[in-house]
Amino acid sequence: MAETAAGGKPLSWRLIDGVDRLVAAAWPRGLHGMNGYLFLLPAVALVFILVIGLGYMVEFSLHELDLATYRLKEAYSLTNYQTFFERPVYIRVLWRSLLAAAIVTLITLVLAFPYAYLMVRTTSAATRKFLLVALFLPFFIGQVVRAYGWLIILGKEGLLNSIVTGIGLPPLDLIYNYPAVILGLVQYMLPFAVLLLTPAVAAIGEDIELASESLGATWIGTFRHVVIPMAKPGIIGAGIVVFTLTLTDFAMPEILGGGTSDFIANAIYDSYFQISNIGLGSALSIVLTLVGSALVALMLMIAGTGTLGFAERKS
Amino acid sequence: MSDNRDPFRLNRRRFLKGSALATGALALPQFAFADGHTKKPSELIVRAWGGAWGESLQAGVADPFTEATGIPVRLDFTEDNEIKPKIWAAVDQGRVPPIHVNWDTTTNATISALRGVTVDLGDLKGLDGLLSIAKPTGIDGWPLVNTYSYVYVCAYRPEAFPDGPPESWRVMLDPKFKGRVALYDDGIGFNPIAVIAGGGSMSDIPDNMEPGYQFYRDLKENEPLLGEDADFTTWFQNGEIDIACTISVNARAAKQKGINVEWTVPKEGCKVDTDGLWIPKGLPANEEYWSKRFIEFAITREAQEKWCSLLGLPPVYPGLEPPADLAGDPAYPTAPADFEKLVSVPSPVLVENQPIWFSKFSEIMQG
Repeated sequence: MAETAAGGKPLSWRLIDGVDRLVAAAWPRGLHGMNGYLFLLPAVALVFILVIGLGYMVEFSLHELDLATYRLKEAYSLTNYQTFFERPVYIRVLWRSLLAAAIVTLITLVLAFPYAYLMVRTTSAATRKFLLVALFLPFFIGQVVRAYGWLIILGKEGLLNSIVTGIGLPPLDLIYNYPAVILGLVQYMLPFAVLLLTPAVAAIGEDIELASESLGATWIGTFRHVVIPMAKPGIIGAGIVVFTLTLTDFAMPEILGGGTSDFIANAIYDSYFQISNIGLGSALSIVLTLVGSALVALMLMIAGTGTLGFAERKS
Repeated sequence: MSDNRDPFRLNRRRFLKGSALATGALALPQFAFADGHTKKPSELIVRAWGGAWGESLQAGVADPFTEATGIPVRLDFTEDNEIKPKIWAAVDQGRVPPIHVNWDTTTNATISALRGVTVDLGDLKGLDGLLSIAKPTGIDGWPLVNTYSYVYVCAYRPEAFPDGPPESWRVMLDPKFKGRVALYDDGIGFNPIAVIAGGGSMSDIPDNMEPGYQFYRDLKENEPLLGEDADFTTWFQNGEIDIACTISVNARAAKQKGINVEWTVPKEGCKVDTDGLWIPKGLPANEEYWSKRFIEFAITREAQEKWCSLLGLPPVYPGLEPPADLAGDPAYPTAPADFEKLVSVPSPVLVENQPIWFSKFSEIMQG
């Protein structure tokens, strides 16, 4: 046991003993059975703070902006939500964000899975190291810098267009459009997806794949009927993370979209900062939160929480 | 032999000590007040725009102010729209605001004044000698001081216009400029121009903006790029646009960097506007005092001459000569005849309608 201290007990045991003694001094004896739940307190506190923030946003969203004072009116109203439904631009940018989230999730998972699979199954230490470095390197480069990197590569006088014009073809419009935003997002999300898929793939024993093949399954059959179903928790988890991060993204559409491929996060920013309408910005934020949460809930309902390893323990 | 231990015995030393303490106690509030006003802060934070804008403020106002007072001035390049809610929240919550002086558009500054977060600057020295545009309109007092005017010019790449500068803004609709036209991402500086270019007139603003909205719809077909000040320079530099509506400062700065850019005022005119300086409420008394001195300094002849000459913009201090490269330039209005070629929308109209125009612009461009 690597963490066994000189006294014989592992460090983690001694830590828990310490916490137990601390709790015994401040916690009614009858509740000692619930000591373990105390470790959840920091997480609960974080969520609680988030909920308080959302509560304020709900409150702000129910007041209309008074253009004479640039303060929210006292009276409660649904004007901001009405604005969301009446002005096509908001439905349009929400739809654009949802579509992008779906496309990016699909492409990212398709690209990330073989990467994770190869990283786990390769017998070459050099290949594994290379894949790991390539995976973690983008984490050291922020999203904004990566977006600007794409501008350099895809711009009118960028690397790709230099090649295109070099062979006598006219320059291509590769940036400031929706596909450019999708490309930037896929590149940004890929490491997240690989990181979430890797443990799921690693949990599949290689001997199971060998057993499947020895029973006559082709490689594709094994992949389809054994690997993919067993990696489902990772696929669902990665899908949810990539989907929600894309849905709420701001920087890629801002930088690579040329101002005409905004997502809902950009519309929220504009409401808060450009037109100083905190009520409308809050209403849009609440709509985004509700839509995002509903879709994640739907995904979990379809896939079942058991896919994430939350299945009830069977006796 | 006197008994010094007797506490009630009044000797000369005790009398003098007591008198001094009493005098000191009486005078204390006045000294504290004076000290509170004169104590220099460790620095003054001035929100500014970056690039040529910040460089001009540094060289024209901040550095000479530091030289004169010994107070370092730090420029904060937070976006003007982003600093606004931070200041509003600080004032509402009784916190010290994040900056001392805000360099802001007159419209945004007026909005902050309506919100009640600005300090009155009516007691500044030198206000009387400035041009009338220095005084904000549609609002009482001096919640801000306008410091210069500027023009949203039609900037273009000369190679794309071999027959001479564009005569009309409608050239933006020409399919040969598809994807090569740029505007600000909220349409600022172009809304009234779009109305005129779309077949309307000044009398249509603000009640009938439809000609402008139709112009935007037509322009949308030409896939314009939408960005901020810095984007225009990059786009011109990379040859990604041929024509843009941007502030003359950006076009001039690009030209000074060797980028082949010219600018003109087309027949429909260009929007002229002003920027100003204001101080948020809630600063400690001494910091507010020195912030006022900063603005006072910014409207002196010395500061206005250098700052505005670097910016290439007409100052509010009267009688200053334009920089040599801008003499006679329609984007550097000085005489009433120059202003006739430009489109000016009164500040109260902008304050009340600009958010609506921004929203409509966004609605059309995001289609």
